[in-house]
Amino acid sequence: MDGEQLPMQEIRRKYVIPGDKIIEGNFRPLSNVIRSGNMLIATRIGIAEVGRDGAKVIPLSGVYIPRVNDLVIGKIIDHSSLSWEVDINSCFSAHLPAQDVFGRDFSPARDDMSKHLAIGDMITARILAFDRTRDPMLTLQEKDLGKIPRGELLKISATRVPRLIGKRGSMIQTIEQATQTRVLIGQNGIVVVTGRNSEGTKLAVRAIRMVEEEAHTANLTQKIRALLNVPETTQEQAPNTAPPKSQEVETAIEEVEEELEVEKGEKL
Amino acid sequence: MSSSRRSAIIVEHLRKQQMWDAISKSKRLDGRDFGELRPLEIELDIIKKANGSARVKLGDTEVIAGVKVETGEPFEGLENKGALIVSAEVLPVASPHVEPGPPDEETVELARVVDRGIRESEMIDLEKLVLVPGKVVYTVFVDCSVINADGNLFDATSYAVVSALLSSKLPVFEMQDGKVTDTGRTQETPITTIPVSLTAVRIGDVVLVDPTAEEEACMDARITITTNSKGEFCALQKGHTGSFTIDQIKKAAEASRVKGEEIRAKIVELTGYGK
Repeated sequence: MDGEQLPMQEIRRKYVIPGDKIIEGNFRPLSNVIRSGNMLIATRIGIAEVGRDGAKVIPLSGVYIPRVNDLVIGKIIDHSSLSWEVDINSCFSAHLPAQDVFGRDFSPARDDMSKHLAIGDMITARILAFDRTRDPMLTLQEKDLGKIPRGELLKISATRVPRLIGKRGSMIQTIEQATQTRVLIGQNGIVVVTGRNSEGTKLAVRAIRMVEEEAHTANLTQKIRALLNVPETTQEQAPNTAPPKSQEVETAIEEVEEELEVEKGEKL
Repeated sequence: MSSSRRSAIIVEHLRKQQMWDAISKSKRLDGRDFGELRPLEIELDIIKKANGSARVKLGDTEVIAGVKVETGEPFEGLENKGALIVSAEVLPVASPHVEPGPPDEETVELARVVDRGIRESEMIDLEKLVLVPGKVVYTVFVDCSVINADGNLFDATSYAVVSALLSSKLPVFEMQDGKVTDTGRTQETPITTIPVSLTAVRIGDVVLVDPTAEEEACMDARITITTNSKGEFCALQKGHTGSFTIDQIKKAAEASRVKGEEIRAKIVELTGYGK
């Protein structure tokens, strides 16, 4: 994502708080922006961005708002006879239909739901449907989705997720390689770290906490490398020597590419 | 006054596993030892119109207490004593698990346990708070609001009440022509002892003091023991469904005495009482 790849038209960015006017004129209100007369108004605190296709605000803080196709990590908090209720670290609690797990011939009388997923279990799931009039619906129908058997649990702000992943996954790859761990990141800010030894896991947790706390600062990858004692020479090799990324992380990376544009903007 | 309804906290199985791993190494999730309390902070006189007030932070748990003194009729059977009323509430801002509504069992228990510690230790010499025996006495209200709930509300609230009372100045009321008048002067609160409560929980076979909300969600049993300045036990409350062995109770009692002494010294230091 170099400067040359930016759209021809200038992209204007500024920090806004809810209620701030972003711009006047015939622009399309995108995420976290509403139209009031001829003005576009921010509805969240963050960086306003006005581009060719309209105006949007990349939030800097706030709760996770589900989006269809997001990969999330959730906690089973209850179940009825037909679905599980999942806490996805949002103001909405999600539902996972029992049919999604047991198949179409699911029978509440025959199948024991709590045997499959009990209250307190953590799952990786994808958001199948969400339109704000109904609670988000989840699915596990994909490779790598389902119950998380082990790992250390962490909660970070959902707005820090793109920073934790880094450009094309650079940040998370650095952390994973240096600490010999595997880091699973949900778009909702829940992170699960699994490692071969507890020292590596502890170090990874420290690094993730540092990313969360200093997400707004420049040269964060260098700071993380210093924390993890990664020599600078591996910087260039890192993407090549990296083990193949899991599908979750890959997808997550794609999903945040848009936001990464903003990070670049901050540095500029 | 607003009140509260609390829903159960569900701890993730992964987190529980982490907790067990830590406990097996004689540590807790936040790195503390079993008998170690979280850092205690006390800020005084945060409510200008109260006769005494305190904000207490115990780790991430935060409680505000205010003292207000008025006059009123004594309680039946206690005609020669002033009245002391301690109340507590958990505000909905305190935690995502608290909803507005009538106070639930736990909140009622919180107010009662805190009240009992102050009352049974006879922290305030209520006999000195009588204007006309059997007719008019001082009524001391201590109202507490939990503004952030991360476990061990009992101790945090208790410390807040004690700090607020230690720093309070009572107005001097006098009877003139059969009417109560406020002289505008103030007097020292008649403090006789400094009660300190200590809550311990049992998780599996270990007993931990000052539990966090997560630890409380995993606990099997809970016990709150209050000691006075002489180290005597003056109030006790056992909570939750599980049981303690005699050895565990002894351990909790000993912790209450030893740690209680440390906390008392800290409260005296932070409130500047007696200086």
